[in-house]
Amino acid sequence: MKIKIKLIIFLSLLCLIHSCTKKGFEGPSIEILYGDFELIEPLIITNKNPSFSNSEQVAFHCEFNKPTQWKISIVGLTTNATKEITGFSNLIDSNLIKWNGSPSQVPFFSEEVCTIELTFENEIDTLRDTISIVSPKTYENGVWIENFDDGLPENSLVYYNNDGGGMTFFVANDEPLLGDSYFKMGGRVNWDWSLGNIDIPLEINNVSFSSENLYINIGILSDLQDLHTGQFINILISEETDTPFNDDPNNNASDLFESTMEVYKMKVPVDWNGWKMKSFRYSDFEPISPNNPDINFNMNPSDIRAIRISCQACPSSAGNPICPENFGKDVRTDIDHIVFTTNSNIFQQ
Amino acid sequence: MKRNLLLLNIIFGILFSNISLYSQTQENIWFDGFSSSYFTRDAIDKSDKEDTLSARNVSNGYSLLDLNIHINPIKEIEIFSQLRIRNSFGSFFGSGTEVNVRQLRAKGVINNKIRFSVGDLFLKQSKFTLYNYDEELLSYENDIINPYRDIIHYENFYTENRWRLQGVQADFSYEFDRYIRGLDFDFFVTRPIGSRQINETTYSSDILLSGGSIISQINKQLLFSGNYINLFEPGASGTKNISIRNPVHDISLIYSFDKEKYHIQQKLQTGFSKRFWLHSELENGILDSTSNRTQGMFFELDNKYSKKDSTLSLSLGYRYVDPNFRSAGAQTRRLDYNNVNSIYPNYTNMSLIRPPSIFDLLSDNIWYNQEISSTLMLFNPIYSNILPYGEATPNRSGIYLNANANNINKQFIAKINVGYFSEVIGQGTDDKRNFSLLKGSLKVNFDRLLNWKKELSFYISSKSEISARSGGELSSLKLFSNHINALVNAELVNKFFIQSSYNMFVANGNEFITQRDNYGNITYFTKTQIDQKEHVVSTGMMYKFRKNVYANLNYNWWGMKFSDLPYNDYKYNRIVLILSVEL
Repeated sequence: MKIKIKLIIFLSLLCLIHSCTKKGFEGPSIEILYGDFELIEPLIITNKNPSFSNSEQVAFHCEFNKPTQWKISIVGLTTNATKEITGFSNLIDSNLIKWNGSPSQVPFFSEEVCTIELTFENEIDTLRDTISIVSPKTYENGVWIENFDDGLPENSLVYYNNDGGGMTFFVANDEPLLGDSYFKMGGRVNWDWSLGNIDIPLEINNVSFSSENLYINIGILSDLQDLHTGQFINILISEETDTPFNDDPNNNASDLFESTMEVYKMKVPVDWNGWKMKSFRYSDFEPISPNNPDINFNMNPSDIRAIRISCQACPSSAGNPICPENFGKDVRTDIDHIVFTTNSNIFQQ
Repeated sequence: MKRNLLLLNIIFGILFSNISLYSQTQENIWFDGFSSSYFTRDAIDKSDKEDTLSARNVSNGYSLLDLNIHINPIKEIEIFSQLRIRNSFGSFFGSGTEVNVRQLRAKGVINNKIRFSVGDLFLKQSKFTLYNYDEELLSYENDIINPYRDIIHYENFYTENRWRLQGVQADFSYEFDRYIRGLDFDFFVTRPIGSRQINETTYSSDILLSGGSIISQINKQLLFSGNYINLFEPGASGTKNISIRNPVHDISLIYSFDKEKYHIQQKLQTGFSKRFWLHSELENGILDSTSNRTQGMFFELDNKYSKKDSTLSLSLGYRYVDPNFRSAGAQTRRLDYNNVNSIYPNYTNMSLIRPPSIFDLLSDNIWYNQEISSTLMLFNPIYSNILPYGEATPNRSGIYLNANANNINKQFIAKINVGYFSEVIGQGTDDKRNFSLLKGSLKVNFDRLLNWKKELSFYISSKSEISARSGGELSSLKLFSNHINALVNAELVNKFFIQSSYNMFVANGNEFITQRDNYGNITYFTKTQIDQKEHVVSTGMMYKFRKNVYANLNYNWWGMKFSDLPYNDYKYNRIVLILSVEL
């Protein structure tokens, strides 16, 4: 009898505990996640006539019934500039999803009407609207900027191989990326990789940010017709602080880029048609002489003293056919708008 | 002078302890350790024509020596250090050779009353507070695969389901002559994860784990124990103003009694947990607040019956673990699926990331984790869907039965493990998953049966998991998995064994993989269709010099086959040589 009572109590207890299930469910509803897509709130654009030059922004709001991969595409009807904003959520929150007027890549937006399209992955629904840019965003607010609009930068030095053909190392204004002018770098040197370079002195003293937070942005125009193989520009940044920029006036190049100095390099292959804005984190630059034990490679943006942009391409001539496909072609690696930005690249500023 | 002699002792001990190094005992200093050599050659199976980009075969391996130095400067204190010398095969003139301190610990007794340890600690509490659960796929016997398991466990410090942590521990006990018989205390403070630099100006906080246990033998039949553990981040050790707190309490009462032929033990265990993130030292004088707060409890009733001649033991119990029960020390998994295979990580000419197979999970150290995780880690429902976080798996309620039986001469050894569980709350739908577990194994020792002197045994095991959920067309699911393992082990001549084994793993059905955010909240359920078949066929030989000293050479054919799924099949072969010497 005693055992029976114990057993009954035990089984009753088990049943009681086992019935401790909970109503409702954890997480989002599967029926909604994998059910039909529904729009809860339409696309709302907070500013239809933005003045980006005055730091205005355009915010987006939309709500739908399930987390979905969404994409907002903005296209400038005059410039064909584009911007894409993507996300995965069931809410496009106007406090978070904002556009500051930058494109995803060049060309830049101008004063123009833009179409806006909101699409959802695997759904046929598309929401459309337009906005009109009153004044486009300007890109003159970096910690250091060179746009060549006032000609060659003060004290800069240009060197190119005089024996080459059709050498174009000068400021031009026929098709700048932004503003009025840009710097042309190109020509033909059949026997050597190096064509020439431009050295620009600069100082960004008294800055507290690190190399991780400094971005070097540069617009590069590649061949429109004579697209070369093995064509690239080298960006060299010198942190040599003891030597003057132009220590030896007898040459046409700065003396801050010797192999015995603290110099960092980024090699940029140039193999596209038209302008592109390239951005690099300064900490991704590599020491030019990493095995030299006498150099203390310790990146510090406030020690930057000069930048060199050099143009190189794979040569080809009858006597030196390293890249025969380049025979008879001119190199073109023009540059514009060199901007140093902090914390993010130029498009995210 | 004495110190110099001690140093000389250490230096001579290291320099002149060559391959024939053996455990030695001196008055103040003694050595032991472990040495192993491991060599593998992996190859794409000849029948596999879909991968012409990967190398057809790849070799890998290393030799290592872990030298344990025990120093007793005084009788009550021991200093222990483990020095590792590891040389990867193919390295030359010292490149690829590593020398490091793998473990360091001091332990001792204060005034013959309080024991303490400082440094590397191996800690375990109850199965709901601090417990390093075995990885899935482990619960079977296979002498060919076991050397892989031994290496993985050794490399990751998995011993007796303890977590290796660094900190300080102390314990002491009292004995009484009335009311209660004894009282044992144990306390520890450890730092599982140190502060890390996130970016130039942001540092994460240290993660600390502290806890204590109390065990009281109330009388001959009744034992009481209580555990407390807390995972927390002291905000001052980093620059973030958000820090986790995860205290867990548990108590248990064990009642046991003996009869002439059997022993019965009943255990009642319960506890609860809290977890939240504390926002402190906020700007503009905003008061501290908490977010993502969860609390949950668990309950387990376990009844064990065991015959005193060890021929039968039964365990029957009921367990309830709340969906919001969170215990970092007990729910951290050994297998971490946020990795890619180190053997042929890519396959096919499209260089796809190769999904892991049971062979990868059993042999590749890259999948294993040593860090306590503050949130639930990802698991793969194919290999473990019922109890992915061991017995502390949240959102489970059900009964289980474990039985071990053997005859008196151990000619037949059988094990059965059955469980039926269901979710306490549905995930993504009101309907709840139901889980059925059936695991069994049988070992026949023919040598004992036929009275042979040389060993001959056959082992077979099977583990099936069925997960099902009824409901609508979109949310219903059914997943079946089965793992079969068979092994023949024959001692041909004295201490020389020939072994063959076959492993087959089959899984099919559909499931939803739960995705969580940084605070453990469910954000999405990814629908997955599963239909795969895996195999590992192995044959090899082993020479056992003595216990824990063996040489093992075997060949494995392994691969995975998918049906009606957008993955490519694969097949690989491996030859492996392992020499393992416990000094």
